[in-house]
Amino acid sequence: MSGILDVVSAVLLLAGATSCLLGALGLLRLPDLPARLQAGTKPQTLGVLLILLGTAVRLEFASASTLILVVLFQMLTSPVISQIIGRSAYSTGTLRRDELVVDELAERMREDGDESGPPAGPRPS
Amino acid sequence: MSTVWLRRVPQVLLLTVVWVLLWGTVSVKIVLGGLLVGAAVAFLFPLPVENPAMPIRPWRLLQLAGYLLADLVISGVQVSWETLRYGSRARAGIVAVPLLSRSGRVVTVVAGGVVLTPGSYVLQIDQRGGLAYVYNLGLRSAADAERARRQVLKLQLRVIAALGSADELVACQRALDRSGR
Repeated sequence: MSGILDVVSAVLLLAGATSCLLGALGLLRLPDLPARLQAGTKPQTLGVLLILLGTAVRLEFASASTLILVVLFQMLTSPVISQIIGRSAYSTGTLRRDELVVDELAERMREDGDESGPPAGPRPS
Repeated sequence: MSTVWLRRVPQVLLLTVVWVLLWGTVSVKIVLGGLLVGAAVAFLFPLPVENPAMPIRPWRLLQLAGYLLADLVISGVQVSWETLRYGSRARAGIVAVPLLSRSGRVVTVVAGGVVLTPGSYVLQIDQRGGLAYVYNLGLRSAADAERARRQVLKLQLRVIAALGSADELVACQRALDRSGR
């Protein structure tokens, strides 16, 4: 029984580590801030999740229950942060708009007669 | 006054569960302590009380959670693939997606859920115009953009099925049919 658990745990830990490694690679290779943000949040969150799962398999419940909380907060906080950074990336111009395949936000801004940046908060009507 | 306090009960119970998980064991002392801490937090940092007319469907909510978890796994693999396959030549796009609900709770969950769907997050929400602008990594053509739009619409349908009102659910289904699945 413990042999099987060891294998499961090892597979999960290695898969998690690989995912984190790919996330780090994405930070280096992807072209601009929002794309790197994807690499920093998606494969990383998945990696952390797999590593914690792999650890939890080998622990008794009392210790593993705290790991559930770590997973939960990881999944709650990283999306919020990536959203805030991503939004400011668009307005400060670190997002390379000329390379976007479609940009319907820019189209909308042109219609509004505003070339400077995305609408910030409620607009006067 | 008393009804307002009654509506805070779920929040206090949820905080108690977190407290018990932090301790890792269940005992009378810990549960009582959790209730006390939960009540103190709810009292000191009061959240706006939710509109009680909003239904919560537990089974649909569980389905939504499972769907989001699967999405997270696909996301991780897809972004990794984009890194390995395209690297610095990776392309992205921003698409406008109509919001199918006016409720703050639904829109918040949708925005949170979009982050877990492969390669995307919400850049901007235009509440008055009912539009969300979603950034998408890995778009290459107009067909990809359409697929990304439909993916967010489907996510909205799932969120509304779990948390939205009945009319919203019908309106959402209609919008999805119109976009041609």
